[in-house]
Amino acid sequence: MADQDKPGFGRRPLIAGTAGLLGSILTGARPADAQSAARRGALVIGLDISDALSLDPVRVYQYSNPLPTRAAYDGLVTFDAGDNINVKPALATEWAYQPDGKTIRFKLRPGVKFASGNPVTAEDVRFSFARHLNIKDQPFQYISHVESVAVVDENTVDIVLKDPTLPVISIIATPAFGIQEKALVVANGGTDAADAKEKDKATEWLNNNSAGAGPYRLTGWQRNQQIQMVRNPHYWRGTPGYERVLIRHMSESAAQLLAIQRGDLDVAFNLIPEQIATLRNDPNIQVMGTPSLDFIYMAVTEAPTNPALQNKLARQAIGYAIDFDGIIKNLAGGAAVRPVSFLPVGTNGSTSALTKEIGFNEDLPRARKLLADAGLPNGFKFQLAYGNAAIAGVTYQNLAQKIQADLARVGIIAELAPMDQVNLRTIFMGGKSEAVLTFWNPPAPENWLWSSATVNRVSKRVQWNVPPEMHKLVADAGAERDLVKAAALYRKYQEAMVDFAHHIVLIQPVYQVAVRKSVVGLNLTAAGWMADLSGAKPA
Amino acid sequence: MIRYVVSRLVTAAVMVLLATLVIFLIANTVPGDPALAAMGDMQASDPVQVREFRARWGLDLPLWEQYWLFLQRIAQGDLGISISSRRPVVDDIIDYAPATIELATIAFVLSLLVGLPLGIIAAVRRDSWVDHAARFVALVGVSAPTFWLAFIMLAIFYGQLAWAPGPGRLDPIAFPPERITGLLLIDTAWVGDWETFRDAAAHLVLPSIVLAASTLGLITRTTRAAMLEALSQDYVRVARAKGLLARVVVTGHALPNAMLPVVTLGGLAYANLLTGAVMTETVFGWPGLGRYTFRSAVAVDFPAIMAITAIVAAVFVLVNLLVDLSYALLDPRVVKA
Repeated sequence: MADQDKPGFGRRPLIAGTAGLLGSILTGARPADAQSAARRGALVIGLDISDALSLDPVRVYQYSNPLPTRAAYDGLVTFDAGDNINVKPALATEWAYQPDGKTIRFKLRPGVKFASGNPVTAEDVRFSFARHLNIKDQPFQYISHVESVAVVDENTVDIVLKDPTLPVISIIATPAFGIQEKALVVANGGTDAADAKEKDKATEWLNNNSAGAGPYRLTGWQRNQQIQMVRNPHYWRGTPGYERVLIRHMSESAAQLLAIQRGDLDVAFNLIPEQIATLRNDPNIQVMGTPSLDFIYMAVTEAPTNPALQNKLARQAIGYAIDFDGIIKNLAGGAAVRPVSFLPVGTNGSTSALTKEIGFNEDLPRARKLLADAGLPNGFKFQLAYGNAAIAGVTYQNLAQKIQADLARVGIIAELAPMDQVNLRTIFMGGKSEAVLTFWNPPAPENWLWSSATVNRVSKRVQWNVPPEMHKLVADAGAERDLVKAAALYRKYQEAMVDFAHHIVLIQPVYQVAVRKSVVGLNLTAAGWMADLSGAKPA
Repeated sequence: MIRYVVSRLVTAAVMVLLATLVIFLIANTVPGDPALAAMGDMQASDPVQVREFRARWGLDLPLWEQYWLFLQRIAQGDLGISISSRRPVVDDIIDYAPATIELATIAFVLSLLVGLPLGIIAAVRRDSWVDHAARFVALVGVSAPTFWLAFIMLAIFYGQLAWAPGPGRLDPIAFPPERITGLLLIDTAWVGDWETFRDAAAHLVLPSIVLAASTLGLITRTTRAAMLEALSQDYVRVARAKGLLARVVVTGHALPNAMLPVVTLGGLAYANLLTGAVMTETVFGWPGLGRYTFRSAVAVDFPAIMAITAIVAAVFVLVNLLVDLSYALLDPRVVKA
């Protein structure tokens, strides 16, 4: 177009003006020195918290909310990081089964105060459990065999069991059973009365505040944004190391990676193996591995649509045809272990060495022989369903394809059926699947929770008619209070699980968490609440 | 005019209801079971509790009755309770909407501020380097996947150069301002907290650029095409022949006539920005409606899905209405007709 059309208004001032405005906005954002003291006093954790429904302990059962719940509430007992077998004292110093066999008497630690400054009393303990027993949200299910909780004196509480053969002490280590300050919860609408299910109105308040004796106190939760906590100056293990703890919601692992590299995060929980690899040489960051108690397993059902799967030998053949080492090495980047069956490595009676001894291990001749014995020398077909998700960077898609390739070596054809997680859950729980890749994570490190799930709930999903002796084995192991004797029973349980071949556990991830070296004393745990923040402090 | 607006508003309400009906029927054909999706493993395995859950959320009623209840509630301004967050949907939306509105508005203003002048200059100086640059910007803006663009921007300007702050609406250790509107820029300016204001503004820069990119491309190209068309008209030649200044010809004669298609597009683009920022919100850890919508859909959370549908439909219908009304301002012939 000709020259006379040259517009009369200058664009350069406009562009320069915009750039200048942007520049001044951006430089204004980081008065780095002014904030550094405040920054050092805050522990900033990057975590996907979009699953959290509540921070009221009686309703805490998702994946991410046990972390802030444990930071705000101490329970009667706990597990130390790295030891998921031996229960340790917390607000209770000692406990013992009473002669009646169904009452457990807890002695409270003297002198412990809530974040409010008020003392922790036996009545607070009773109230906390009674609120669970009457509100009956999901965590209640784990202690539904508790009959009542009674105050003996100011510093002594009894938990009375309906069924004394079922374990409870390890279960109440979980953050949902943290002790709440009765006066504060009641003042905000809480109740432990029999009609608490309808009448309790404290959840709204407890979602933004806490009433516990943990190292930090909850001061706010902006959903899908962040959880804010401040130090509890009365904490019984000593003053916590940070003035504030901020749990930032970041659902994208790549954003977490950038943020920890830049120093905006101190801890990044959701990095995938490739991202972890890029941090190995970063002088400011250490990668901490914590073997989880979570695992991905293949549920193989006795589907009426598939006669082959109703044959135990054919199901076993699947287990011996999978290249488990290849899955761990190539898909999980080596950051995983594998248990024998439905009891993760690190619990009482489950080790990686035992998996080599009695678990499924790749053995193609044996798989072929099992197929021949099953009358299926040419193999068989089944449908393998899985969701569009990933655990610790391992996608179900990749896992399914690997299994498909492995099984093809002995003539077993796995037809892959990808679907969204809700559909998957619907068909699996509705007993309408042939085989499913799915995930199990524990509410508490108590073996009985895994073993009873397999013979009760999960058995229905895999259409397994559990023989009475299997039920008896699970009950006996759960009732055994001697850890060594229990471990022997759990070995028998695992052998039987391999024999029935309904649950083929594929990987138990070692979660890799990036922590800036400016943080010391942060203990990662597999027990269900990710990390113990009580000892964390600036270096 | 008033009659016209009222009749349009009535049509709009019908449209919104029809949209919710369609979504309701689609959502109900999904095989996923909202009860199983929302309940914990132990609860979901207990048929008694599953029955109770269905009864509590009305999932055991016939379809028509569920929809009828939804209509009754919405008539009273009650959007129901979200199955997946266990909170009133209204509370969820009040929580998440401001973050999205703030981001979408800034992105929209940005795309207008850059897109309009760029389109005009590109048309006026057709085939000059400005035109080529504008074409390139539009091409990248429209075709670059948002997800990719968001990461690249974040990696360069936050990760490498450290010019921009990271994901989120505020610095991690900043104290969020007292909530008045939920729009951080307004809430901080209201109380005169300029430090937090700058923090919030800085956190808006990258995501609003990413979100603006595709809109910017569309606006640039549409403006350019409309301007080219207008500049070739006889009245422009007459204006030039009269010896008017080039700037008067462009801004006074050609531009108003070129605005109609741009306004239409701009209206729809703003509605799109308000409702479709899922990717940008995901990467930038932005607690907005896009993420909420996505999660509700994945969890088969009927009340939330229905409420969002109603809101999205209402936004589109209203924006269209505003666009139509603005025609009357831009082009007097519309009113006469």
